[in-house]
Amino acid sequence: MGIVEGKIKNLAEREAKIREMGGKKAVEKQHEGGKLSARERLNLLFDPGTFRELDLFVTHRCVNFGMEKIDIPADGVVTGHGLVDGRPVFAYSQDFTSRGGSLGEMHAKKIVKVMDMALKAGAPLVGMNDSGGARIQEGVDALSGYGKIFYRNSLASGVIPQISAIMGPTAGGAVYSPAMTDFIFMVKKSSYMCITGPNVIKAVTGEEITAEALGGAATHNEKSGVAQFACDSDAEAILDIRTLLSYLPANNMEDPPFVAPTDDPGRIEPALDSIVPDNPNVPYDMKEVIRAIVDDGVFFEPHKLYAKNIIVGFSRLGGRVIGIIASQPGVMGGCLDINASDKATRFIRFCDAFNIPMLTIADVPGYLPGSDQEWGGIIRHGAKLLWCYSEATVPKLLLITRKDYGGSYLAMCAKDLGADYAVAWPTAEIAVMGAAGAANIIHAKEIAAAADPAAKRAEKIAEYEGLFSNPYVAASRGYIDAVIRPSDTRPRLVEALNAFAGKRELRPPKKHGNIPV
Amino acid sequence: MFSKILIANRGEIAVRIMKTCRRMGIGSVAVYSDADARSLHVEEADETVLIGPAPAAQSYLSMDKIINAALLTHCEAVHPGYGFLSENPVFCRKVEEAGLAFIGPGHEAISALGDKIAAKKLAEAAGVPIVPGCSRPVGDLADALSVADQVGYPVILKPSAGGGGKGMRVVSARDEMAQALSSSRSEAMKAFGDDRVFIERFVVKPRHVEVQVLADRFGAALYMPERECSIQRRHQKVIEESPSVAVDPELRVRMGEAAAALARQAGYENAGTVEYILDAQKNFYFLEMNTRLQVEHPVTEMVTGLDLVELQIRIAAGERLKLAQEDIPCRGWAIEARVCAEDPERNFLPSSGLITRYSEPWGKDVRVDSGVRAGSRVGVHYDSMLAKVICRGNTRKDALRALTNALNAYHIEGFATNAIYVNAIINHPVFIAGDLSTSFIAECMEDPAGRPEPRQSHLDAMALAAVLTFHNRQAMVRMSLKPMQAHVGASHKLQKEFAYMLRDSEGAAYNVRVSPETVALRTWTARVNEREYRVVTPEFEFYRRRLRLTIDAEIRRFLIRAVDNFYWVSFLGATRTFEIYSPREWELLPVMPASQKHEDEGVLSSPMPGLVVDVLVKPGDRVFRGQDLVIMESMKMESGVSSPCDGEVEAVLVKPGQAVETGDVLVRFAG
Repeated sequence: MGIVEGKIKNLAEREAKIREMGGKKAVEKQHEGGKLSARERLNLLFDPGTFRELDLFVTHRCVNFGMEKIDIPADGVVTGHGLVDGRPVFAYSQDFTSRGGSLGEMHAKKIVKVMDMALKAGAPLVGMNDSGGARIQEGVDALSGYGKIFYRNSLASGVIPQISAIMGPTAGGAVYSPAMTDFIFMVKKSSYMCITGPNVIKAVTGEEITAEALGGAATHNEKSGVAQFACDSDAEAILDIRTLLSYLPANNMEDPPFVAPTDDPGRIEPALDSIVPDNPNVPYDMKEVIRAIVDDGVFFEPHKLYAKNIIVGFSRLGGRVIGIIASQPGVMGGCLDINASDKATRFIRFCDAFNIPMLTIADVPGYLPGSDQEWGGIIRHGAKLLWCYSEATVPKLLLITRKDYGGSYLAMCAKDLGADYAVAWPTAEIAVMGAAGAANIIHAKEIAAAADPAAKRAEKIAEYEGLFSNPYVAASRGYIDAVIRPSDTRPRLVEALNAFAGKRELRPPKKHGNIPV
Repeated sequence: MFSKILIANRGEIAVRIMKTCRRMGIGSVAVYSDADARSLHVEEADETVLIGPAPAAQSYLSMDKIINAALLTHCEAVHPGYGFLSENPVFCRKVEEAGLAFIGPGHEAISALGDKIAAKKLAEAAGVPIVPGCSRPVGDLADALSVADQVGYPVILKPSAGGGGKGMRVVSARDEMAQALSSSRSEAMKAFGDDRVFIERFVVKPRHVEVQVLADRFGAALYMPERECSIQRRHQKVIEESPSVAVDPELRVRMGEAAAALARQAGYENAGTVEYILDAQKNFYFLEMNTRLQVEHPVTEMVTGLDLVELQIRIAAGERLKLAQEDIPCRGWAIEARVCAEDPERNFLPSSGLITRYSEPWGKDVRVDSGVRAGSRVGVHYDSMLAKVICRGNTRKDALRALTNALNAYHIEGFATNAIYVNAIINHPVFIAGDLSTSFIAECMEDPAGRPEPRQSHLDAMALAAVLTFHNRQAMVRMSLKPMQAHVGASHKLQKEFAYMLRDSEGAAYNVRVSPETVALRTWTARVNEREYRVVTPEFEFYRRRLRLTIDAEIRRFLIRAVDNFYWVSFLGATRTFEIYSPREWELLPVMPASQKHEDEGVLSSPMPGLVVDVLVKPGDRVFRGQDLVIMESMKMESGVSSPCDGEVEAVLVKPGQAVETGDVLVRFAG
């Protein structure tokens, strides 16, 4: 064998050795737990044959506690880049089979490098987390590693889409990097996230709780809102990440990808003419309205299980990506509360950062009253909605289907907060409050003094309804731009979106605003 | 002629009657309940009157309200449609007493023919064959044997107090009689406290064949070509056709003449239908006479070219039938399928909700009688039938092909319907062969042994439909990112072949490879498990959820719905859900936990919309799988909702009297 030939062979051998990760047994164990290995995950994420690995030969430098004798293949994390649907994407994937995917100095450096590259290249970053946490043998070096990652998460935020998948245990410092990214996908039953684990909780407070109940996919998707997606398996999570990427531009200087529509932009949808029930207290499913309006009825929804009284999600209208924020009258009447404000704000700011126009659909009776809401800070959480709608400079469309009362009228992207195009169905009621409440306040004395207060109240309610329970008062002042037939909604919105595609809006220069978080 | 008619009905039949009224220049008045305020029949009518709340007893069955509505709107006649009050002699009499014309027979005829025994006597008097049997209870064994000898074997023993099949015994030969008689008697005694038993001829593999008659007040009575309605599920007709494969011209005349004779005998006026059972030896026996327009009347209209509603109105207005028996043609073949809001996957429980999308097939010889449109809300208060799809062809084969295509093109979305189920019936080899009987559904659809396996080429076609749709959707996303690709310098070679692995809902695996043949990407060479096909795809319109592919030069139509990589495909009444994977995903699949999408999550949820009648458990109760926990009422039917698991009840979330929707949680289990 010649010298060069031997060197080439040696490269192949070195590569093969490291690509075995923690060894066959460890990979099998990973499989038994219903989990894929780090490399299998990357292979599913990228188009076949396009993944290029970086830093394969990086090793740790720790000499404490006998670590110098321990070899960690690729230092427990696979990093690199490839194509997703033909477009460059950078990614890292922690390898649980190699020392539990623990994060040490060099492990962190690899992640930092791939983040820097993604930021320079203006390409999305996907992080797949499956790690036991900090490599404690490395002490403060590991901590410093986390810090460097957090710093870059913040730097990259709003420049490139950052997506996290939680595919194993994630505790302590490790949860913050995902928390600083734009979207978190969790896999049911095999992943959890928490700041302090069940053992620490038991030691400190005596509370007994399982990891799944404390920070499983269900918990973070339904209760805390930390995660946006709960998937059945690693493969499903990766498929969903690819779907999410198909709605996003590669960076904040690009427009989101346009798909030539196969669905008629002029499609009339007769069912919408009868979707709003006659009785204003009867709910309907806003998702049916959304599906009827958007291209092919396809709607991709983050936070499906959290704060269900508001719906957010991506879709396409006439081929253009659009972010939808819609009240859900079927859940708590579609009112706004702390969680709904939080959910919507985060989504709106994401859309604005990545040039995704927004459609707001309002059927909202108001903010949820109650001491827990007030003590929980509904004032500042609600204010976030007003703040971010005002801040957003992407095209903003508004559709009012039914109730749009009071403060929540403003919070659902009213014209005064910068809606570019506001339309209402004839069933819309735009007022300070519902007719019954309004009549009770305005005519309190008159009603009390009447011989038959109930009749008087009914009369006054009817009077208020006649005046305000319609879209025409608002239309007469120009607070909405048009009253449209529900069945015409799709063509009208497609036209509006096309008309505003070239919108450019400049704001006073400033470092950044101070959102009431 | 009348100038205005009130239609005392709802749904498709009300709409259908209005169509004829409009053509004849007659005004129409619709009555409606609160639940129907926005329904199609209200929109189609010239005038409308609200007659009460949703329950039929307080609206469509309320005689006085309907008659008042007719008087208030100055109608001259009332058309009762079918169901509701159509065969109620009291209503008929009240209409007449109010000075209005009842579009149907007189109340005497309704009464007489509505009574089973009286009707049978009338039929016998008119010379219509009735099932041979003995009109008195049999005595001892010797008596039974002599009666049976007279009637002819096989015979059936029927308890006189009977019902529900209890105590019934089929006796096919003399030596079985002793045993059958004693067991029939003891069972009847136990069930009804009455051991009297009748003997009747047992009709093997009976067909249900009926004859439409029309009679005017001047004594003319005409009959139409027969309709066969053997395809029934729980005594509800599902598919009807005219004429019948079992009836030859000679038999047609005999059955028709008998029906006309009965109409004359009963002094019948207007449209009616004489129902027969027909045995394999072409013997027909009287079953009953329906004194109204039948649901399935359109098949007769399609083959005769007549408008039965128009004739009904003319007869009721006192006109003479201008037709002669020879003028009634039978042109080709017509078949009707009833589309109902019921879910074949859930044992035909009624479904309800908003129709979010709706489109009807159209074309020559395609007729749809429908009471709904996009935006209609279908509730649980009334009959679940939404529409009828009727097709005519020169031959039965043509009519069947037309109906299959029409059902494929019939798009209704928002809740489950039986549209695919009826398509499966008309594509069943036994149905195609015309070998029908009233037990067809039990033997050929409900019994798994009778259900034909779809042909491999059909399954392959379905897999191809799924893959090509999936592939083209993905390709669109890749195309959308093309500008970016150019920017970074596309590294990707032009791929010639795309491979996918599929698993269908029956567990079968498919290895599908597709390669575009032409630049326009419309012609493909496809291989499914190494079987090769040439496929031409249309311009994809994913919104339509219908796909037409040309596979090996044959046009194939599919219905397709997709969620992520799960593709539901229906073809010729067969349905499969395909999971589509790339070869790499497929390789890793065995490692992945199974999709938990259908996992029960420790709750009992409502399988249908309806009203909770009773809750049979309380928190803390131990229950077992299959035990009824809640009784629900829907479409006037009560049914138990059974536990999906063994476990302990943690909480009951509903109360009797509460209305629930499909999927609402009724009971939560502990753990």
